[in-house]
Amino acid sequence: MTGRTWSLWNREFDSPVILASGTAGFGFELMDMGYLDGVAAVISKATTLRPRKGNPPPRIVETRFGLLNSVGLANPGVEEVVTRILPEASALPVPLIVNVAGETEQEFASVVEMLEKSPVPFGYEINVSCPNVSEGGVAFGASPSTVERVSRLVGQTSSRPFSVKLTPNEGSITESALAAQEGGAGAVTVCNTFLGMTVDWRTGMIPLERKVGGYSSPALLPLTVARVHITCQAVDIPVLASGGVSRPEDVLELLAAGASMVQVGTWLMRRPGSGAELRDGVLELLEDVSP
Amino acid sequence: MTRDRETLVLEREELSPGIFSLTLSAGEDFLREAGPGRFVQVEVSPGPFPLVRRPFTVNRTDAGSFRIVFEVKGRGTDELSHLTEGARLRVLGPLGSGYRLLPGRWLLIGGGMGAAGFPCLADRIDCGLVLLGASSASRLLEVGGFSSMCATEDGSRGARGLVTDLLDRVRWDDFSNVALCGPVAMMKAVAGRLPDAILEVTQVSAEARMGCGWGACEGCSIPASGGGYLKCCSDGPVVPATSIDWDLWEGV
Repeated sequence: MTGRTWSLWNREFDSPVILASGTAGFGFELMDMGYLDGVAAVISKATTLRPRKGNPPPRIVETRFGLLNSVGLANPGVEEVVTRILPEASALPVPLIVNVAGETEQEFASVVEMLEKSPVPFGYEINVSCPNVSEGGVAFGASPSTVERVSRLVGQTSSRPFSVKLTPNEGSITESALAAQEGGAGAVTVCNTFLGMTVDWRTGMIPLERKVGGYSSPALLPLTVARVHITCQAVDIPVLASGGVSRPEDVLELLAAGASMVQVGTWLMRRPGSGAELRDGVLELLEDVSP
Repeated sequence: MTRDRETLVLEREELSPGIFSLTLSAGEDFLREAGPGRFVQVEVSPGPFPLVRRPFTVNRTDAGSFRIVFEVKGRGTDELSHLTEGARLRVLGPLGSGYRLLPGRWLLIGGGMGAAGFPCLADRIDCGLVLLGASSASRLLEVGGFSSMCATEDGSRGARGLVTDLLDRVRWDDFSNVALCGPVAMMKAVAGRLPDAILEVTQVSAEARMGCGWGACEGCSIPASGGGYLKCCSDGPVVPATSIDWDLWEGV
């Protein structure tokens, strides 16, 4: 051990690795397999005001160099999360950050208000990549003023710090990050999956039921590095990097680009033991460069 | 306990053109829990791509090893088919919930590679009859040592036709349990022709495109009869036939 620590929201961690929303559930399955070692925090699947069944299958399709997903924020709704899931999550050996999604600006605050009844969450991650139903389905993250309003609404409701998870698909990431900071966010997550689609040119068939999905891949790492770098130049709040991590080197690269902590998502599906594998790799690499 | 382990390829066999078996090393703890219908997630390449693992049912367990059987369908299975004895392979498992090994006589109905899990199952139950269907004799995975009937589309083995054609010959009163596994279209056809009382005691080994394989990503959803979705990987892969919404299920 090098004794290295990383910090977020006044808490020290012996690993920079956070499990990204959507790929770790609420952490129970990984806990059962003994794979939360090396994990600083788990970010839950998106929680919405009402239960959501999610999109019809197929929800995922692998392409030559990545994965497209269209799960559709399947979750049991915030009431079930607060009454049934979070009490169990108090058994997790690591902090839980609850990811929050909404269909209207007010809905984010309503979900957070319910989550405030639970002592379990360490903080929240606000997913502004979802479509704003009252604005015709454009993502909340497309407009900095919307991001700022959502952040302010959440901030007024929450006693806990929160990160705003920005979208790479619409708007300017630095303007959105500044808006989140202005609205009171305690961090920004940079960023979410990239809008993608695949089509079978022979048949014209589009495998995903919803046609488009979120694209993720280790090959996207430089896109995240760039966005983390420019965001860190623009804001003072911590930046949580998310996108393309599959190796300890990737974690260190994102930290070098300015990230405070680094999320792993798609690679966790491949390697459920990513927490310890990445943390141990990071510590070894750091020891090599500073003997 | 479900763990991500490095296994050793002990044997590779080409059962028929394009269909392979790999015998992989396994410890006692794995073998004890790798019951019929459970599966493993195999890391098909040491490099980053193919990105996610591929799920395979446990075909057979022996002392110190287990076997998976697969047909080369795409990049993942192609990579696996080229492994040779002595190669190392990361395997996560055992995963999912398998067959409930209920007392009484069983009927097994399999289509093509869907029969891959039957040897493991048949050994542990009172297996009265196995019905198998495939496109041709070379695509048929036989379940040795049990009474069986088969149908092939080209007539190269057994009756010419589909496995559903064999259902008329079944004396349903003889059976108190059914296992059903195969392509979704085949399972829909079979389920649609089973007597209601038999559908009630039918366990389906489902398949879906899978992400994690351990219940977190919700990529492998199957329409549930009560509305909503089942997770193939953790609610299943073996689920009661009555828990599936057969009209909505379109499969892989």
